[in-house]
Amino acid sequence: MNNTDQTNIVILGAGKGGTALLDLFTRLPGVTVVGISDQNPAAPALEYAKRLNIPITQDPVQLIRHPGTHLIVNVTGDPDINEQVNTHKHPETEMLGGAASKVLWDLVQDESQMQAQLFQAEKLAGMGTFASGIAHDINNPLYILLAFSENILEETDLPTIHKQARSIIAAGKRIQSISQKITQYTRAAKVQDAVSINVNSTLDEALNIAQFATMLQDISIIRNYEDNLEVLANSEELFQVFVNLMTNAIHAMEGKGTLTVTSYHEDSFGKISIADTGSGIPDENLSKIFEPFFTTKPKGEGTGLGLHNARAIIKKYRGDLSVESTIRQGTTFVIELPYATSK
Amino acid sequence: MSESNSAGMFSGRKSEGLVLVVDDEPDVRKVVRMTLEKSGYTVLEAEDGEKAIAEMKKDENSLLLSLIITDIRMPNMNGIDVINYYRKEWPSVPLIVLTGFPDMDMATSMLQHGIADYLVKPVEAEKLRSSVSKTLEKREVHGF
Repeated sequence: MNNTDQTNIVILGAGKGGTALLDLFTRLPGVTVVGISDQNPAAPALEYAKRLNIPITQDPVQLIRHPGTHLIVNVTGDPDINEQVNTHKHPETEMLGGAASKVLWDLVQDESQMQAQLFQAEKLAGMGTFASGIAHDINNPLYILLAFSENILEETDLPTIHKQARSIIAAGKRIQSISQKITQYTRAAKVQDAVSINVNSTLDEALNIAQFATMLQDISIIRNYEDNLEVLANSEELFQVFVNLMTNAIHAMEGKGTLTVTSYHEDSFGKISIADTGSGIPDENLSKIFEPFFTTKPKGEGTGLGLHNARAIIKKYRGDLSVESTIRQGTTFVIELPYATSK
Repeated sequence: MSESNSAGMFSGRKSEGLVLVVDDEPDVRKVVRMTLEKSGYTVLEAEDGEKAIAEMKKDENSLLLSLIITDIRMPNMNGIDVINYYRKEWPSVPLIVLTGFPDMDMATSMLQHGIADYLVKPVEAEKLRSSVSKTLEKREVHGF
């Protein structure tokens, strides 16, 4: 390998293995994917690469000959390709193929499964926070529903029965809408594709859930939205990040304060800031908050993965998550994601 | 069902006591009113703490008030603030908290702050009535 900081990689094969490796390599600092090839023009990683502005081709030889390549990773599973690589590659280019590339692919898959499990664990931990808020919101209409139903059994005045039946239906509908909000939150993200997402409506949905954590607290919420702002990401994942940052913000305020949610755009980025007026994060912790398993919460209350996962999601969509904090004044998290021009 | 909102207006059979219900949900107030009126209590309603105080300043309601049943969710206040708010206005009127929060810690802390009972919605009619009657009995024994 050349003595430079940058490693240029070519991927041969754009099936499952190629997709997983493309995803991994494009996230590694210091690695550039110079191109990817597959004889099948419908191979999934080709589509993915197109979106990332990585050159694609159906002719592997063209890529094998590419000058300045440090490493060719072959995940085609086609024995003829090895020969072509050996024939056409530059002498200083290394090749990873056969069993070695298979092991690499297995590692990548294992890692992504573990990530998915960690995401799930964090989600479940977050759920506990909302449980009592959700119970509260359900118990009110439930009380109305049960008490009026019992009364109707004995009630003889028809107009009263009708009036109370209408209240029962309204209460039932409220429970239904709470149930919809919850399922929205717990549904595991399936689609990984970056699509154009309406930031403001996703923020509103997240606030619907986060407000379950503000029960019995004196917390006001300010929304400053830029109209029709759209970014490229996955809506389920972005929703999860929003809920996570909002709940953190609410916790940081310990019962009193203002949560300000702002959406705007700057250059080619859509930006979302979530600001609290809480106690702030001390400097010595500020550098650690995105590290996995870092938490200041008591044992059993936090997994320490929330912010780590949030940043991983944002990075995956070519964005960034940053933080600014002042002691006794509050903390602001800023998400930036590629700006999608309005449809 | 009586929609009267002034204790001075009830007549006929003797009231078991004047109960003020504070909750921001009209249907919740209606349910509590319905449940207690069946047992002969006179019920006044208020949407929040401020309106409760305004309601009580009408006529001679304040003198007749036997009990407050209140939710603990109020703007600009936490649960303990709500209790202190009523305490300041009517130091000797017992409070029953009626909330959607099934929270043991909250219940314990509220009871330590001297509330008469902590009831979680949905509460059965019988349980609500017995909590109210027990609270009022105690009040008579202690001679508030």
